[in-house]
Amino acid sequence: MAQKLVDGLKQAGIDLVTYLPETRLNQILPLLRDDPAFMLVPVASESEAVTIGAGAALTGKQVAIYIECTGLYVSCYTLVSIARRYGVPLLLIVGYLGSMADQRNNNVYAVSGSYVEPLLQALQIQFQVLQTGDRLEGNILDAVRQMHALKLPVALLFSGDFTR
Amino acid sequence: MIRYDCLKLLAPRITDQLVVTSLSGQKIEWASLSQHPGNLLVGTMGTALGVGIGLAIGLPRRKVIVLESDGSVLLSLFNLATLANLDLKNLIVLVFDNQVYSGTRISEPTATAGKTDLAMMAQGAGIEQAVTVTDLAAFQREMEAALTGAALKFIVCKIEESVSHREITRTDLDPLENKYQFVRYLERSEGKPIFRGRG
Repeated sequence: MAQKLVDGLKQAGIDLVTYLPETRLNQILPLLRDDPAFMLVPVASESEAVTIGAGAALTGKQVAIYIECTGLYVSCYTLVSIARRYGVPLLLIVGYLGSMADQRNNNVYAVSGSYVEPLLQALQIQFQVLQTGDRLEGNILDAVRQMHALKLPVALLFSGDFTR
Repeated sequence: MIRYDCLKLLAPRITDQLVVTSLSGQKIEWASLSQHPGNLLVGTMGTALGVGIGLAIGLPRRKVIVLESDGSVLLSLFNLATLANLDLKNLIVLVFDNQVYSGTRISEPTATAGKTDLAMMAQGAGIEQAVTVTDLAAFQREMEAALTGAALKFIVCKIEESVSHREITRTDLDPLENKYQFVRYLERSEGKPIFRGRG
């Protein structure tokens, strides 16, 4: 599944990933690191995953931001004040901890997870929840096409089979 | 030393460097001194340095100058650790440290009015060339070295609070207009398309 996700990002033209690692999708990191098609930028806060990603996107980089869903709370301010205010295309790759289909859900994550979708709706960030990889490359291509068409962040939330 | 005098020294030195500004006072002053299409007038606290890091990553052969403030850097201290480890040699950070939240109009002190030293914090984060300047001559010397050198520079400029920007007419450049102006300038000067997607 991790390889499929990385292949999908590559196929969609993503060439720079800012990230703060999490547990559900972490197997993509060594694959991204080993693939010269990607530049990886580790950050210390999801807030700067957005600002750094936005700056790079304004130079022509095709940017994905890989974070845990709780990082959306941390990055609300920069998503609004930079990504949305300036209109910057960014692909949010989000480990959806605490979602109903999170296979490792527990009381640490469930409350945090329950606000993720209302939060994205409030931020007017379009998103899709993925539970299987049946159409993963297509889902990524769709999201990247949409982020370029809107010139705004678009999110893919990974739950279900991605959280085993 | 006041910020406007520093910016007056910097403005004529801009050729093809990109300049990112932080919040209102310096944004107003810089926009009045420079209408260069390579200006990105961000104008929000805690965001300019991150955006500048992204620009410097994306265009490694181009100099990027970030105009920051003490309150803004304090709001995004995680940038220092990230920047140190990226060690972007094409990035210059000028932090105008007036030791107050001037925009509040009641000049509440920031942490740098107390025990906090931003240059030392930057050094502690791993930014090797982090210095503090306290007068215009030192500012000009460090700025010239940064412009002509090839190293990550973090220059904390200790300034007096000045509210002269309140007398300057604010730019009416909309953020979206600023973005397109900036991106089209990069497309011309870098010779590559930036935004994708069909029209």
